[in-house]
Amino acid sequence: MTTIGLTTPAAPATMDGPATPAPGRRVASRGWRAAGYVALVLAVVALLLPFYWMVMSSLKTNSDVFTVPIKWVPDTLVWRNYVDIWQRSDMTTWLRNTLLLSVLVTLLQVLTGSFAAYGFARIRFPGRNLLFLAYIGTIAVPWQSYMIPQFILMSKLHLSNTLWAIVALQAFGAFGVFLMKQFYETIPEELSESARVDGLSEFGIYRRIMLPLSRPALASLTLLTFVTTWNDYLGPLIYLRSPELRTIQLGLRTFISQYNAEYALIMTGSVLSVLPVAVIFLLGQRHFVEGIATTGLKG
Amino acid sequence: MAATLTRPRPGRSRLVWRNTIAGWSFILPNFVGFALLTLAPVMALFYLAFTNWNVFGVAEWTGLANFRRMWGDASFWTALRNTLYYTVLHIPLTMAAALGLALLLNRRIRGVGFFRTAAFFPYITSIVAIAVVWNQLFSPEYGPVNAFLRAVGVHSPPGWTTSADWSMPAVVIVGTWREMGYYMLLFLAGLQTIPTQLYEAAKIDGATAWQRFRHVTIPGLRPTTFFVVVMLTIGSFKVFDLILVMTEGGPGQSTLVLSQYIYQKGFVENQFGYASAVSIVLFAICFGVTAVQFWINNRRENR
Amino acid sequence: MTRAIPGAVCTAMALTLLLAGCGGEDEPVDPNAPVTITLAGWSLSSTPEFKTLADGFRATHPNVTVELKEYDAANYDTQMIADLAAGTAPDVYVLKNLKNFYTYQSGGQLLDVSDAGSVLGALPALAPYQVDGKTYAVPYRQDSWVLYYNKDLFDTAKVPHPTGDWTWDDYAAMAKRLTAGLKAAGSTATGAYQHVWQSTAQGFALAQTPGADLLSGDYAYLKPYYQRSLDLQAAGAQPTFGTANTNKLTYQAQFGKQQSAMLLMGTWYVATLLNQRTSGDADTFEWGIAPAPQHDRSTTGTSATPVTFGDPTGMGINPKISKSKVPAAQAFLAYVAGEDAGKALAGIGITPARATAPITETLFALDGVPDDALSKFAYGTHEIRPENPVSRHTTGIQNVLADLHSAVMSDSKSLDEAITEAQARARSEVLTQ
Repeated sequence: MTTIGLTTPAAPATMDGPATPAPGRRVASRGWRAAGYVALVLAVVALLLPFYWMVMSSLKTNSDVFTVPIKWVPDTLVWRNYVDIWQRSDMTTWLRNTLLLSVLVTLLQVLTGSFAAYGFARIRFPGRNLLFLAYIGTIAVPWQSYMIPQFILMSKLHLSNTLWAIVALQAFGAFGVFLMKQFYETIPEELSESARVDGLSEFGIYRRIMLPLSRPALASLTLLTFVTTWNDYLGPLIYLRSPELRTIQLGLRTFISQYNAEYALIMTGSVLSVLPVAVIFLLGQRHFVEGIATTGLKG
Repeated sequence: MAATLTRPRPGRSRLVWRNTIAGWSFILPNFVGFALLTLAPVMALFYLAFTNWNVFGVAEWTGLANFRRMWGDASFWTALRNTLYYTVLHIPLTMAAALGLALLLNRRIRGVGFFRTAAFFPYITSIVAIAVVWNQLFSPEYGPVNAFLRAVGVHSPPGWTTSADWSMPAVVIVGTWREMGYYMLLFLAGLQTIPTQLYEAAKIDGATAWQRFRHVTIPGLRPTTFFVVVMLTIGSFKVFDLILVMTEGGPGQSTLVLSQYIYQKGFVENQFGYASAVSIVLFAICFGVTAVQFWINNRRENR
Repeated sequence: MTRAIPGAVCTAMALTLLLAGCGGEDEPVDPNAPVTITLAGWSLSSTPEFKTLADGFRATHPNVTVELKEYDAANYDTQMIADLAAGTAPDVYVLKNLKNFYTYQSGGQLLDVSDAGSVLGALPALAPYQVDGKTYAVPYRQDSWVLYYNKDLFDTAKVPHPTGDWTWDDYAAMAKRLTAGLKAAGSTATGAYQHVWQSTAQGFALAQTPGADLLSGDYAYLKPYYQRSLDLQAAGAQPTFGTANTNKLTYQAQFGKQQSAMLLMGTWYVATLLNQRTSGDADTFEWGIAPAPQHDRSTTGTSATPVTFGDPTGMGINPKISKSKVPAAQAFLAYVAGEDAGKALAGIGITPARATAPITETLFALDGVPDDALSKFAYGTHEIRPENPVSRHTTGIQNVLADLHSAVMSDSKSLDEAITEAQARARSEVLTQ
């Protein structure tokens, strides 16, 4: 990429037309805008349909969940399912474990991942490319094929059947390193060079320049890691045995195998498992568009 | 790397030394965990692929026997074909949908937060619920999808997950629906790295919306697109959980994919040596395709 | 760096494989000291059998505590294989079906328990667990497949109740009659429900067809069984495989909520149905058990012994158990396969491995269990053939036949084509490997 002036003032991150458009254009753009909205609303309906079904099922009696044809609106709303599930399962424990794991894993992954990514993106040393290839390589191996050797290893380290197993499993993945490296590479090298001339150490460049500039990417990585850990099922299934260690996904599956015909309750549990992530996403999504463009450094 | 090579010798070796220390100190915190917990077991896999191992006890070295067996294994080829089918259909569809969503939602419009969340919802919704709902939607006799198709005049709508011909398209549709929000997120982050004044300059030059997209957005998104393509490729080759909950590979072997075949041979039939060998092949394909993508990407960047 | 890579590979590999190999310790043997043995179970809160067995054993062996370890019901074998491979599995573990017995036994994961086996006397379900004259596990449950029928729906459809002399053709004809009768009476229920599992067709075909052999590579014996199923779903006498699959129909709701008048299912469903009646998840109606329909007339009627199928559920001992606990674990195994445990299990609706008259009486004394003569006959009298004969090829063959099942039942492939393909696959992918 070419060098971009660093002194240009920030512009809002939109692709809107000028502030005072010509009258003719306004009509056209309004028409487009309306069409865009209609398209969006249609897309949202399609996107949310299964979630809507999930919520509605959680408010039905069990025998009403599967009917032919599908009943989109239940006759009566059964709120009792939401009380029942708290009484009949260890929802609180599951949520606490999952939250703990998700926060810890996300923290470690974002910290060590972005740190390592800087090493890969900005410092040239022998063996770098080979090492990076090893990272990418492990992404390309299906987990279920090395699950057993990994499990044996973790057991010998006395990590299996502890929450640490999941932290160890998820926190040092190659995904974060790869993602952050890609974003660091879009930041002009000249920035680091001038900082080096100013006497900033490599760590200083990472802290003072790269981290602030990669905020949307960091926000994405945080969110994706959080969601992945939150929704992970196979990891906890293999590593966790004790009921008090169960995560929300594992708990729900156990719940399903225990009450295999109670789909209304299962859907209630699913809704409860999605809600915290949805709230975090809704709060965090602002950060994806408040990054580089508004800091004024890059844009 | 060219820059470092041209420096005079004494300075160079000191610089290399300093860079190596600096580079490793950045990578080390992650690498320690990565090497011990992921790289080591993956390496073990490369040994196990040449053995006959039933999980318990000692793996017996059998050389290339697993690979010879794979060559004559019709199910392996079916799984490979199905995996390619899924990949070829899934990647372009998801790319287009994710980029489209990101462009639509990278503006200041009312309720953008809600729309973004809605687009991301399929990804965070429990996969059990997804499987249940989509299977019902696709139900050949009573499902809303076919009811709609019949209403618009399709006389014999497809059997979707209950038909060997349509089960894979059905899975691809659900896969795309589920993952596009995820990649949209990455594209949104990528769009933020494109400086606004490039768009303004293009506008002043009289570029149309399409031209701006073609000559500003696309090049600006290249690092993100590259990441998305690589992750999508690997993700598609490794597709597993979606197939497992939706069709379990059926009907017949119509949606049997490599990952599932590995799981079946390993955890159901306890032939971990053979399963490891299939994994190595899957790894080689993923890695080969990714390496080609890296190569193309590097060539473009250095142009 | 180039030299470092192979070095790293070797170190990593050596580390992984070395760590996998170590472990195991000896402890002094003291028979009278208090002992705790661990036992693997699943879904403990809704599966009372493990606690019943642990408590029952403690009554006669007060110095032994049986501690339960919970596993996931649907992924029990995956979790157990991982734990056994890592050496962290419990002392005693359950073999859910016969399919995986070969894996555990040939992998050296089952202790020789001939001592416990020898005190059990004649127990037909013990035979599959014996290899070269040694016993590696004991059965504590022996479920078998029977026909559940809804007496109320039979009456609604004005169809006479089963009398225990049906062949499969009689069953198919009756399913159609029931469907027509129910429709005439204004009910939407179907005559029969066939669950989506491959066992519903293949288990019976294998057990009942003379000369049928899972390991022969010849699956022509499946043909009449599938023809009848396809005919029944085409006639609308049972929900189609596609509908059952896409709408996630459960057999519990299908029969318990009176959506179908007949259901072929294992005897474990008795306990489930009783529980669901109490919890309100199943309706309260008159029901009964009849013998499974037979291949031909030679085994029908209450004077003959009907042939059906089912795998025993067994328990074995993890060889990594410390030596001091082995006698206690063997005594526990002898208990679970014995008469007392049988009565305790029957008391909670479970079908124990030992089918004696007093045990059957215990089960039929439960509230909600039908007490007609045919139900008792169907429950207590039958010849049970294993669904999964013990062999190294069994799981592989069953996977091939599972593909056949979904291809045929969904009408994706013609029956002949599917059987030809399955035979070719069985030979090239399983039997010759």
